[in-house]
Amino acid sequence: MAGRINFTASINGQQVGPLDLPEDLMMVELLQEYLNLTGTRLSCGQGVCSACAIIVDDPEGGSRTVPACITGVAWLNGKTVRTIEGIAGRDEQGDPVPSPVQQAFLDHFSFQCSYCTPGFVNAATVLVERLERAPIPVEDVEDAILKALDPHICRCTGYVRYYQAVRDVILSTPGLTIGTVAAAERPA
Amino acid sequence: MPHLDLSRRKFLAAAAALGIAAAVRPLRQAQAAMMETTVGKDRGWFAGGKLRYRRDGMAKVTGSKVFSIDVRARDIEGWPDSQSHALTFHLPRTDRIFRGLDLSLLRPDLEPDVLIDAERLQQDGVAMPQSDFYGDFFLAPGAVPPMLGQPVAIGIWHDYERYRAARKKLQFVDGIFLWGEAAGSSARAPYGAARYVRIGGDDPRGADRFSPMKDLVVWPQTDDRGVHWPGPDDADFGEAMRHSADLRASMDDPPEGWRVFARNYRSQSVDPAAMETENGLGWYQPEQGRLNVVGATQSPYTVAHHLLEMMSASRLAFSQLEFVTGYTVGYGQKEHQSFPYYVAIAALYAEGRPVRVVLDRWKHFQFALKRHPFDIRTAFAVDAEGRFQIMTCDMTGDGGGVKNFSPSVGTVAVTAAQSIYYLPSSDLSVQMLPSVNVTAGSMRGYGTLQSMATTEMLVDEIASEMQIDAIELRLRNVIRSGMKNTQGAVPSGHLRAAEMLELAAGDPMWTGRHERKAAFEAENPGMVHGTGFAAVQKDFGTGAEAAVVQLEVTREGRLKMRHVASEIGCGSTTSQLLVVQSHLGRPADEVEFSVQDWPQMPLHTEDEPYTTTQEDEDRFAQDPRWVPRFTSPRSASNSAYYFTHASQQAARLLLRLTLWPAARSIWSGGESGGQMLPEPVEFEDLAWRDGMLTARSMQPLSLERLAAHAHARGMITGVCVHTFNRWAWAEADFEIGGDRFRAAIDALSVKWGEAADDATKARMTDGGYAFQPRVQVHYPPVQRNNAGTVYYAPCATLIELAVETGSGKVHVLSHKTWLECGTQIVPELVSGQLQGGVAMGIGHALYEELPLGPEGPGNGTWNFSRYHLPRASEVAVWSQTGHVLPPLNDADPPKGMAEVVMIPVAGACANAIAHATGHRFREFPISAARIQEVL
Repeated sequence: MAGRINFTASINGQQVGPLDLPEDLMMVELLQEYLNLTGTRLSCGQGVCSACAIIVDDPEGGSRTVPACITGVAWLNGKTVRTIEGIAGRDEQGDPVPSPVQQAFLDHFSFQCSYCTPGFVNAATVLVERLERAPIPVEDVEDAILKALDPHICRCTGYVRYYQAVRDVILSTPGLTIGTVAAAERPA
Repeated sequence: MPHLDLSRRKFLAAAAALGIAAAVRPLRQAQAAMMETTVGKDRGWFAGGKLRYRRDGMAKVTGSKVFSIDVRARDIEGWPDSQSHALTFHLPRTDRIFRGLDLSLLRPDLEPDVLIDAERLQQDGVAMPQSDFYGDFFLAPGAVPPMLGQPVAIGIWHDYERYRAARKKLQFVDGIFLWGEAAGSSARAPYGAARYVRIGGDDPRGADRFSPMKDLVVWPQTDDRGVHWPGPDDADFGEAMRHSADLRASMDDPPEGWRVFARNYRSQSVDPAAMETENGLGWYQPEQGRLNVVGATQSPYTVAHHLLEMMSASRLAFSQLEFVTGYTVGYGQKEHQSFPYYVAIAALYAEGRPVRVVLDRWKHFQFALKRHPFDIRTAFAVDAEGRFQIMTCDMTGDGGGVKNFSPSVGTVAVTAAQSIYYLPSSDLSVQMLPSVNVTAGSMRGYGTLQSMATTEMLVDEIASEMQIDAIELRLRNVIRSGMKNTQGAVPSGHLRAAEMLELAAGDPMWTGRHERKAAFEAENPGMVHGTGFAAVQKDFGTGAEAAVVQLEVTREGRLKMRHVASEIGCGSTTSQLLVVQSHLGRPADEVEFSVQDWPQMPLHTEDEPYTTTQEDEDRFAQDPRWVPRFTSPRSASNSAYYFTHASQQAARLLLRLTLWPAARSIWSGGESGGQMLPEPVEFEDLAWRDGMLTARSMQPLSLERLAAHAHARGMITGVCVHTFNRWAWAEADFEIGGDRFRAAIDALSVKWGEAADDATKARMTDGGYAFQPRVQVHYPPVQRNNAGTVYYAPCATLIELAVETGSGKVHVLSHKTWLECGTQIVPELVSGQLQGGVAMGIGHALYEELPLGPEGPGNGTWNFSRYHLPRASEVAVWSQTGHVLPPLNDADPPKGMAEVVMIPVAGACANAIAHATGHRFREFPISAARIQEVL
């Protein structure tokens, strides 16, 4: 069997570990089989479909998504990670309070079966956070969304309502774009 | 026939016969409180009288456990805290005798704790149920594999880390399979074959000379030498075969002025590629003889019933079955698949522990159901005016290693080959053959993608050859209201394909296509531009659609619904809540979906709606508790029309039997006949305005007041209806309290309000309801089985694309789709289905292909790295539009549209590529490599 590592990480704001884990364990296995966080969905197991995308927060380099199916716990050891379970807030009753991206996906009826939704939420969240730090011209928004989300496969929706939702979030959130909304609006 | 699911009654009867306590229930009810999903708990989805988002939206967008694959043993109430893990072993070749499994590469510490193989199952008398439909569990050593991906064993490891280490060592190692001498597969009989011959009369709306609907479908004999079509003198089928021969002769030697166009097409093998792979969790408790299975399936009752059958001959203790279903997704891939039974046998041998079985994507490709590849020869005889006179189509489908739904996929495919056209005469044949390829089954489109897309390619070519505008040619031949289809049946209602053709013909993308091509090519050297169009109409439903809905109003005026509908992603659990609004003024307030337990509807059935004779059905129907089928699975785009009908019938009856009497009682209350005396108020005058029930000049009444009144007077306050459709609705007469009425249902139960007298309450013995025996019933005649279909939703797509002449790469620039689906229940869900269907159709047309034979998915090396699914950048995500035709009126019923939307774009892509390149491709997918070869 593989060697072992002593694993610690911050996952959704909670300190996890130290855990004695196989050093070749993939992050999706840790989340699903050890932590019972099954919202990160495994589909291809080879880093192609992006259903399992999780967020790795780097205070210096910013946030980015990685495919949890091919990203080992060894690489993530000591890092700060967000999964779909950590994106929404909670109200006083403990009910979920969706993030702006999640709310937009709800409002736009963006998903159907939803197996790929956690990956889309995480990728769109990272995009929005990146634009907070580095706004882009309004006319570049659609290309930026396509670049950020194109690796994500959805078999149900044809992508349109995901993309429209993210565009709405970006165009309606102050500080993410430079220029005027009207200049970039197109029929869809 | 397609999409059978067994009824609860039949399931329970089978369980009772075996002395088994059995249940089927949704995942939500089985989960422990700590793991409860927010589906159904979140109240924000509907607020202020408006739908804000999908009912299951919050649970899904926050990553809650909603899929079967999300569930672990610890999540289920009463289960242990952990589970074992199982790995299936599948053979990657079929050309040698299988000699056995060699797992010696696993050191002793990694060997499976349990190994299940054919010998072990045989010892215990555990066999695959319906093995002619599903295949055998395992191949025993000494035999030739019948198909690529054939399972031979399951290994179980009791701890995760050993399991994953073993899995890693075994992955892609074919050396674990021991082989003997070379051997070929033995010949097998076709899975099915049929022929549909129609010779229309002079009037497209008049009597046929011969047709399946009027006469018969030809069902030939088959054996391991192939299909044996009847001869012209055959006692049963001779007349049909003589007409067939005459039509073929006319095609070979057409009358003066006619032209015949015959082409060969090929549609590929495709993986539905559900993002959730095959999976399940099982737990067998031998001391209690209890088998628990959590499965991902679109046909839960069939699985549960067949689990009973699987266990019935075994020597293992078995007295209880619990089958739990979560949300799933499959596009047909998880309907009537064999995988849940592998989960069950893993559970049986897991030494009393829960066990989880999940196929990774490579094994999912290797074993999960596929879309049928077809070879298709289609021909049209066209007169000088460009009117189609004869159509012939001969389809040969590859069903793969196991029969599954191949016979019905074939018949649905070939009867759809007509696309949107009226054909005066037609001869359509199909044969579905076995092979060593991975089994093909039900997939979105059910064979019609393959047949209609290729018909649309031929029609486009005919237009080009005859120098007629391609949409104009379609308009000359489009089937119009009242005309007959190739089965001789008259489609339901007003046919609106022509309306779409007119819209497309006037669209700038079509009218300016030549100018756009010239301009694009001038601006983009090395690329060619093309515009393509196709239009189809797709049936929905199965010809034996049954549903049950319960609807009642509480004393406080809250509407409570129970429904058989379950969720496979399409949003039916959202839409069914809303469709009662027109009758009750607002959506249901509380709802329970995926209801399997219906004591309120004490019915029984043989569940043989396709094969029961008219004589038998007439006799059975005299029993008011008999129905042809109890309920249908979620498939065949059936919720929008068939489930909506059931929901609306329940709502209408609650209005008629509860709210109308309550309103009359209020309006006529007091002395001198009340406010109603001077006004001739009828039931038909009722109308909801701003949440209040109104009629002429009567005082508007709230649902709360009506409900309180009905309860206080012991009026009817709840109804439970059963519906059945065999290409027409069953209707029945009922009589309650001297009020006789007819409704488009075949069974009814009611409950009375709180103040009902004791005698009335004593009648409510059926789950709190009182079954109301129908006075008489009118079932659609069994001959309507031959109609094939009468319910169609039309759809048309116009697409423009560019092709790189160097690489053959296709760039979809934009597309526009028109859809007619009656009244949209939730336009956002319709639009989402449309967009998703178009993307899937683009994948079929341009990208997706699985090789047949040993290089195909059965060898276990396929995944998304080699099987390309379309991305957003390949479907014109920012430059596509969809247009839904407005309904004819407020009562225009919704139509099933989830399948049709993926079909025209496939033909349109092919036609656009022809326009761009000048070459007619007749094989899907039209990949860059194929284009490059030609260019």
